Amino acid sequence: MAKTFFIKTNFDLCTGCSLCQLACSQRLLGGYNPHRALLRITHKAENLYHFPTVCNQCENAYCANVCPAKAISRDPETRALVVDRDKCIGCNMCRKYCPIEMVGVDPDLKKSVKCDLCGGDPACVAACPTGALELAYRVVPDEEEEEPNG
Amino acid sequence: MADSYMGKFLLVDLTNETSRTVPTPQWLKDQFVGGKGFGAKLLYDLVPKGVDALSPENVLMFFPGPLTATAAPSMRACAVTKSPLTGTYLDSFFGGRLGPEIKYAGYDGIIIFGKAPKPVYLWINDDQVEIRPAGTIWGTNALEANALIKEEINEPDAMLAAIGQAGENQALFALICCEYNRQAGRGGAGAVMGSKNLKAVAIKGSRLVKVHDPEAFDKACKGACEEIALSAECATYTDGGTSSAVPWSNEIGTLPYKNYYTQSDPQADKIGDEGQKKHLFLGKAACFGCPIRCSQMGAVRTGKYSHFITDIVEYESAALLGSNLDIHDPRAVAHLTKLCDEYGLDSMSAGGVIGFAFEAAERGVIQAPDGVVLAFGNVQGAEYLIKSMAFQEDDLGRLLSQGVKRASAVLGKQTMDYAMHVKGLECPAWGPRGTPGMGLAYMTADRGGCHQRGFMIGYDMGDEYNGEPVEMYQTKGRAGILIELQNFLAGTDALVKCDFSQCGVSPESFAAMLSAATGRQVDEDYFDLLGERIWNQTRMFNVREGFLAKDDTLPRRFVKQVLPDGPHKGHRVSEADMDYMRRDYYNIRGWDEEGRPENVTLQRLGLDKAPVFKERP
Ligand code: SF4
Ligand code: SF4
Ligand code: SF4
Repeated sequence: MAKTFFIKTNFDLCTGCSLCQLACSQRLLGGYNPHRALLRITHKAENLYHFPTVCNQCENAYCANVCPAKAISRDPETRALVVDRDKCIGCNMCRKYCPIEMVGVDPDLKKSVKCDLCGGDPACVAACPTGALELAYRVVPDEEEEEPNG
Repeated sequence: MADSYMGKFLLVDLTNETSRTVPTPQWLKDQFVGGKGFGAKLLYDLVPKGVDALSPENVLMFFPGPLTATAAPSMRACAVTKSPLTGTYLDSFFGGRLGPEIKYAGYDGIIIFGKAPKPVYLWINDDQVEIRPAGTIWGTNALEANALIKEEINEPDAMLAAIGQAGENQALFALICCEYNRQAGRGGAGAVMGSKNLKAVAIKGSRLVKVHDPEAFDKACKGACEEIALSAECATYTDGGTSSAVPWSNEIGTLPYKNYYTQSDPQADKIGDEGQKKHLFLGKAACFGCPIRCSQMGAVRTGKYSHFITDIVEYESAALLGSNLDIHDPRAVAHLTKLCDEYGLDSMSAGGVIGFAFEAAERGVIQAPDGVVLAFGNVQGAEYLIKSMAFQEDDLGRLLSQGVKRASAVLGKQTMDYAMHVKGLECPAWGPRGTPGMGLAYMTADRGGCHQRGFMIGYDMGDEYNGEPVEMYQTKGRAGILIELQNFLAGTDALVKCDFSQCGVSPESFAAMLSAATGRQVDEDYFDLLGERIWNQTRMFNVREGFLAKDDTLPRRFVKQVLPDGPHKGHRVSEADMDYMRRDYYNIRGWDEEGRPENVTLQRLGLDKAPVFKERP
């Protein structure tokens, strides 16, 4: 048995403050801009609801499946899907096929970026003042524990 | 080395439909920092004496601050212009997500000149600036305009500042809706936008906002967030925004009832946090980067006005469209507030104007149109007036949309006894009879009757100041306290802080965040001097426009009529009280007996030879 870590979202607690996105963009790019963060907050109905969307760290990860350079693979510790920037050729195929658009080429880095769970200590979870983001894991039976791109 | 400024202003000329950028001057950053500071200096430099606020010569400016758009908690932005309602300097602050977007698009400010030949909106997408025809979007309410423009530019994530019909029609207290539930509310910035034929400004940006020292900045932000988490006052805002101020204000005898006839309302609790929790609230929402989340989002689900989405009805709206009008169903008050938001009227001034109109109608000075009842307690009457003011439907609506000062000048001298304004700006919902320091705050606020430039109620009620209890009902010493508050708030409004987070965040933390963000080392006293400079700069504008001691005064009801009941029964702020406090205030400020800053004061603050901003589009 293995554990795949991912970020569980509780939209009922999300206030739409974007503190998570600020923390994420600062870590990724060294500057603040929520549009450049690796998680998305969707504001609905005049701000009555806010939906956080974070990479699911899929067991069947389309982003990795479609990557022609095999640049997306699992972190051995967290089983998060991580982009190897040396291998990434910037084709943006991953974005095209991720069902929730949680991966894609950053305009400055020219490489694909996606949530890597900050190596296991997520900055967004730490920054969220309400508990709308939680680090969680799912247990994966051994036979399903295949490597993507395998 | 990086700092948290974006390095340029966007100058837009609507008359010729052009725009260009200019570098943000270093001297401006050094001496005025951002937000209110930039606004105070640039309005003075850009708008010559005596310009009609609704003419193309007025400018409309939007300024974030050096900490806006970063992880510094609860930073906002402001709209600055010459007020068509008061003729004074005007800044109006708004939270939400619009302010940060200005910086993400790459600007330290947007300065709008001229007047478009036809209705337009502005679409700013990083460097790409388009002036687009508003077409059929003109004529829609602020929320409809928001949706239509996002659809037209196909950018659901763009942020919008938009006016409703009231702004288009130049009702003098029209606001700018900074989506959602956030407004540049007071003083008529929306009318200025309407006078420029500008329906909306849409912004989206992909730039990174960087800070000088990321590690120190992160530490300073965490410190500030901790202070907020430990602050009892901030916790009150998290729990119920400002709605719990309704029962509190009633208890201490400052809540306006029936156009400030008195300052206590037997039914106040119905429209406070209790009533709103029961009838409105569903969940919390926050402004950008704010851990406090004072918004209590909800919906009216039952009764005559269902169904619509509403934010919390803030204290000022609850008091002025509720108690002040003798209306006590929170759903009805939410309904009136939402109408103001959609049509784009300042709900505070609207409450003041409707209270005035109800009293005038009950005294037989104005005639209600057929089928309309203008009387305290009448929701339909209030609704009718809001619509007629926004749409300029009839003479009464047109008259009242000019604010109580102008309406009372037309209706006759005796109505001045109950026209509740300072310099033309309708009073906030803290009746000052019994709290003279708050009275002085209204008298001296730079944009007219405003409670946000120095909130004296706590001290007036006997709180300690510098370790000493403040004596109730005294005028002595009030000026000194108020000046310290005004200076600190004006200084931190350059950042642009939120008034609520400011209750928790210490001056040391503001200084640490600013230092780490900009690389300019400042200490906790920095904001006092900065604020004093800014305060004198706005005063220079107002003095140039002819505002002097005679204008630093309170509405007659507060001065002539003693309170008939409540905790402060028998109290007023007399002529003698005003005289004493005004003199004391000018003296400490270093102003002459007319309220003009003395040369030595200007020299001390470096305002005598400050450079002049000469850029034009
Ligand atoms: S980027 Fe998309 S496809 Fe890839 S793991 Fe995350 S959610 Fe799944
Ligand atoms: S875990 Fe890290 S990388 Fe992933 S969304 Fe959160 S902050 Fe960004
Ligand atoms: S920090 Fe938490 S509450 Fe704020 S937007 Fe992100 S998920 Fe929502």
